[in-house]
Amino acid sequence: MSSGWAWWVIGLIVFNMGLTFCLFIWAPIARVPTLPDGTTGHVWAHGALREGMHRLPGWWIALSLGMFVTAFAYFLLYPGFGNFRGMLGWTSQGELATAVAANDAVLEPTLQRLAAMSVEQAAADPQAQQLGARLFVDNCAACHGRDGRGNPLLGAPDLTDGDWVYGGTAADITNSIRNGRTGVMPQWKALGDATVKNLTQYVLGLSGQTHDAQMAAAGETVFQTTCVACHGPEGKGNPLIGAPNLTDRASVYGSSAAAIEASIGNGRQGHMPAWSPRLSDSDTHLLAAYVHHLANRSDAAGR
Amino acid sequence: MAYRHFEFIEKHAWLLGILTAVMVSIGGLAEITPLFIMAQEVKPPEHVRPYDPLRLAGRDIYVREGCYLCHSQMIRALRFETQRYGSFSTADESVYDRPFQWGSKRTGPDLARAGGKYSDEWQHAHLMDPRSVVPESNMPGYPWLARAPIDADDIAARMRVLRRLGDPYTDADIASAAAALEGKTEMDALIAYLQGLGIANEPQATAGETP
Repeated sequence: MSSGWAWWVIGLIVFNMGLTFCLFIWAPIARVPTLPDGTTGHVWAHGALREGMHRLPGWWIALSLGMFVTAFAYFLLYPGFGNFRGMLGWTSQGELATAVAANDAVLEPTLQRLAAMSVEQAAADPQAQQLGARLFVDNCAACHGRDGRGNPLLGAPDLTDGDWVYGGTAADITNSIRNGRTGVMPQWKALGDATVKNLTQYVLGLSGQTHDAQMAAAGETVFQTTCVACHGPEGKGNPLIGAPNLTDRASVYGSSAAAIEASIGNGRQGHMPAWSPRLSDSDTHLLAAYVHHLANRSDAAGR
Repeated sequence: MAYRHFEFIEKHAWLLGILTAVMVSIGGLAEITPLFIMAQEVKPPEHVRPYDPLRLAGRDIYVREGCYLCHSQMIRALRFETQRYGSFSTADESVYDRPFQWGSKRTGPDLARAGGKYSDEWQHAHLMDPRSVVPESNMPGYPWLARAPIDADDIAARMRVLRRLGDPYTDADIASAAAALEGKTEMDALIAYLQGLGIANEPQATAGETP
């Protein structure tokens, strides 16, 4: 605050506190002229009501004094009196730093213990799961759902099925979280409506779903010249570029004929934001462990 | 001072009213006036730029739809806020916000640093029908925004008004504004605005910043 405004504030405080404090000192000892009957002479309702005269009650004086003492102590201890910072040196930033430091001190031993673990080890640690679940709900659940089962509307993969578009090793998961992923499937509408439908039948067949064999056979020739570049000759995909494995039933955008046709015809643009630097390395480590835990928990459950 | 002075004040209602008003106004004069005058001197941080035309249109839609009734854009200097939302907000981040979107009343989460947290596709799906991505959400959907083209006619006028208020738009910025909104829907503008929130003004290092 510029010194001019600081003096403005000081002046107003001195005026207000000074005037009220003087009145407080003076009021109990002020001599108020009274009539012989002990009233002040103020009358209402043609003299039916008269104003009596009593000393200020003790509790009122004590309460007021308490408020003055509190106000003076506040100006002494905390910022407020112009540019005077107060004897405690309190700031909201300082209070935040103290709170953060206190919280860090509580978490530090746990985080250090978990940081020394590999992602796989942390995935089995109950404390890491607890911390990771909290981070997951706050940051990841919007797309992947609170239970991690994904959302075909967004192309957010199911994280619990052990099927990975970009690979499921600890390094892959950490990389996905830290740097995000941008998946692009081009649109193949230009191949013609019939070809897209044939390809759809072929892809249905790849994952063992009921399909039209004749159309699928026609689709296969196109698949082996066009789709093969990313999804491979057997349709097993390529985790390096995020081309999904088409031979399993797990599907990011849905495995119905309509969903597959839309994927081929209109293409797909999947986007997972990069979480660095929004999330710290230790948060990323905990989340990777939690995601690893989600995937393997369902394996253990015997899916 | 003697008692008769007080008796004089008490018996003259206008004088009593004026002197009461003087005493009551002292708190406001001390707390509000300096900040009010000094607000003109708050300078934007280096990376904070005035809204580009699309985000400016989106900001106006955000205000029009009353998003501020449930979402604040002010992260307070409290640990549980900085841990969840990021570094606390500072006044200089909001120099180009008219009106500012501060507040502490939240039905939905704070959005001060929401930009880039989710993908554009997520924002679109969420605005069309929030429950399609967040089943427990109680936010209303805004599907009509996707059908409403932006009225680009007055964007230049809006930018000229903001320039008069001090935002550093150039003549070229204003001249090209209408073209930048060509073919865009209100949904596009709102998403562009949301995805820009807080992305350029994160303080580099602050005392209370979480590691």
